[in-house]
Amino acid sequence: MEYSGEEALGLVETRGMVPAIQAADVMLKAAAVVLVSYENVGSGLVTVMVKGDVAAVRSAVEQGAAAAAAIGEMTAAHVMPRPISRVGKIVSKHDIDGD
Amino acid sequence: MERNDALGFIETYGLVSVLEAADAMCKAADVELVGYENVASGLISVVVQGDVGAVKTAVAAGVKEAAKVGPIYSSNVIARPHADIQKIIARYVLDW
Repeated sequence: MEYSGEEALGLVETRGMVPAIQAADVMLKAAAVVLVSYENVGSGLVTVMVKGDVAAVRSAVEQGAAAAAAIGEMTAAHVMPRPISRVGKIVSKHDIDGD
Repeated sequence: MERNDALGFIETYGLVSVLEAADAMCKAADVELVGYENVASGLISVVVQGDVGAVKTAVAAGVKEAAKVGPIYSSNVIARPHADIQKIIARYVLDW
């Protein structure tokens, strides 16, 4: 789903692909959020991003991070309540629906 | 991937154990090998799909066999993945 900023953004970063996908699955099921991006950033780190209302994203990230930590190494989890639109431009480079 | 099947994952350090895991999973139960990803730093994963029971059996067998060859980082079974998860998996679907 394309993200253009000014909407809450949730990020979970893990070492490896398996915990990242687990985090994504739990986040999408936990609250009304949609998947924005899945990115292999190198050195074994994988980031998943979701967007939605602040409360939904906060709850999704909390549960997604816990689920990832249970089966692997969770390196970072963060909620950006209202990033500026320029941040959205960076995020849209990693759009899951893009090329 | 047309169906919302269960997904099974095994992630190991190195190619040797991931190949062993993939082989053991496909031989242990009626699952299809659908994906493979090398996320760098030695972490490599394989993904299978099929019925929940088959996937659970396959992952258990894959972990057991691969552990004899090399270190395993993590494994997981998602019984009924969210539709958006298919988008991630679709990026790594093996083209036979």
